[in-house]
Amino acid sequence: MAGERSIWAQLRADPAGLAGLAVVGLFGVVAVAAWLGWVGQDWSAAGGGRWEPAGPDHWFGTNILGQDIFQRSIYSVRTAFEIGLVVAVLSTLLGALLGALSGWYSHGWVDASILWLKGVLDSIPFYLFVAAVAFALQGNAWAMHVAMIATFWTTTGRLVRAEVMKLKTRDFVLAARTIGLPDRVILRRHLLPNTVHILLVQASIAFVAAIKTEVILSFLGLGVQDGVSWGLMLAESTQEVLAGHFNNFLAASLMLFALLMAFNLLADALQDAFDPKQAAQ
Amino acid sequence: MGYPLRKAVSGLLLILGVTFISFLLMVWFGPEQTYTLVGKNATASQIAEVRRELGYDQPFLQRYADYVADLFTLQLGNSNASGEQVSRILARTVPVTLALMLPGFLLGNGLGIALGLAAAHRRGQWSDRLISALSVTGMSISFLVIIIALQVLLSTPYGLNLFPVRGWQVTDFSSYLHYVTVPTLALVLITLGYNTRFYRAVFVEESARDHIKTARAFGASPVVILWKHVLKNSLVPIITRIMFSIPLVVISGSLLMESYFGIPGVGKVAFDAITSGDQPVLKAVVGLTAVAFVLIQIATDMLYRLVDPRVA
Repeated sequence: MAGERSIWAQLRADPAGLAGLAVVGLFGVVAVAAWLGWVGQDWSAAGGGRWEPAGPDHWFGTNILGQDIFQRSIYSVRTAFEIGLVVAVLSTLLGALLGALSGWYSHGWVDASILWLKGVLDSIPFYLFVAAVAFALQGNAWAMHVAMIATFWTTTGRLVRAEVMKLKTRDFVLAARTIGLPDRVILRRHLLPNTVHILLVQASIAFVAAIKTEVILSFLGLGVQDGVSWGLMLAESTQEVLAGHFNNFLAASLMLFALLMAFNLLADALQDAFDPKQAAQ
Repeated sequence: MGYPLRKAVSGLLLILGVTFISFLLMVWFGPEQTYTLVGKNATASQIAEVRRELGYDQPFLQRYADYVADLFTLQLGNSNASGEQVSRILARTVPVTLALMLPGFLLGNGLGIALGLAAAHRRGQWSDRLISALSVTGMSISFLVIIIALQVLLSTPYGLNLFPVRGWQVTDFSSYLHYVTVPTLALVLITLGYNTRFYRAVFVEESARDHIKTARAFGASPVVILWKHVLKNSLVPIITRIMFSIPLVVISGSLLMESYFGIPGVGKVAFDAITSGDQPVLKAVVGLTAVAFVLIQIATDMLYRLVDPRVA
């Protein structure tokens, strides 16, 4: 694994990755500003007429209820970051934990159980699983997050398992075992820190997947319960576009695209920075 | 344990796991149909009667055991909501879903393989960069956005207005083309970015191997190398990806298409069964998907042996 300084140097030499980082940062600032109550607070106020065109009062026009589409799309940045961060962080941590246990005790019963759980979760059609979780949690606003975390960890788990199986035969791990360090100390101090490169890349991929999934779940009525999101705006727009009102659709889909593209570019750049050999191909 | 026995045991455990989790979530914690079925002003004894009929009064393990037994004996029963036989519902909806999803699935993978080969062949040149950039762009557009945009462009007066907005009135081949074109284009655009990127990585990795370098050193033509060596040796990851995406594309992917375009396929039926608590339908769809997954794993294994003698 490359050192931290060289990762940053690699990233700086990658214009697409830098652009991605800048755009993600910009969206992050907007999300924090919306969270602090500085912007996008009028997202639910019906302050205009039905389907007003874009103009100085309503920059992106209004929707069927006269709500300001600009305010709604800005507030949705906060919603997207909330979903993306919660799902990315927790699913990656869960994957790291289960993957590390699985790899450390490989070919034992712990490993077999974790692999079985992964196989089971991978065999249930995802949207049916989310719908079932949503009903089991009786419409709880966190049902969507729970379902995504419960299924998104499997890829991270598989990669961390392989890495830990590789690392545990290395000399520094053998040395740690020889001096009698307990397993959990070796795992926490010596093995997991060496999988950080996998975790960072997987977390940014999970962030993208979470936001994309939210859109579909909101369309199916299983996503964001109260508040506003790009998914809810797109769900609203499915009827509007047939009547020739495109503002909701354009605002939500363009902002969504900008954030997803930036995150994908960042994830690629991180992957290349951590794995220069692969990047050279 | 011998190989076939090990495979059978792990397959069985997988089916038990999937049925257990889906039973726990969808049946035990799922919505009850009692009150929909008894109607208004039901007496306590009527309610108890319906609950007994549907098996809601049984203990947890008894109900799970019945569920698995029904599945393995293919006693799929009747839908609670419509009273129709579940096997007939499946016979009616599965062909619609296959007709809806198959063209896009094949085109999406075929084009992905072609673009991946082209990009890997010209690795690092501008055409490779263009294909890679377009793949990332495709991966960054939401499925729903692609569907809405295609619908506006192809099926409304704001665009070309060539195809129906929604529905599935298929009687012959030309009406089939009429209804399947927009969903197919949408499915291709949704999957093409991911497919191209995956296949390019496979081909790039394969072309870096020593036997390819040797073939190149012996002066074999690039096209021969690409077809005879790279593509042939990449068959295992290609088969894996295609086989394992079949059940998910058919159920999860079709759910979105069928909901959006109002098409009566199996994805929509399964989703409606969850939201209304129609347990016999759910049992059949989720259980049979799990069985299909296990069968596909076994079939994939057998295919590996065909294309790669080293595995056997």
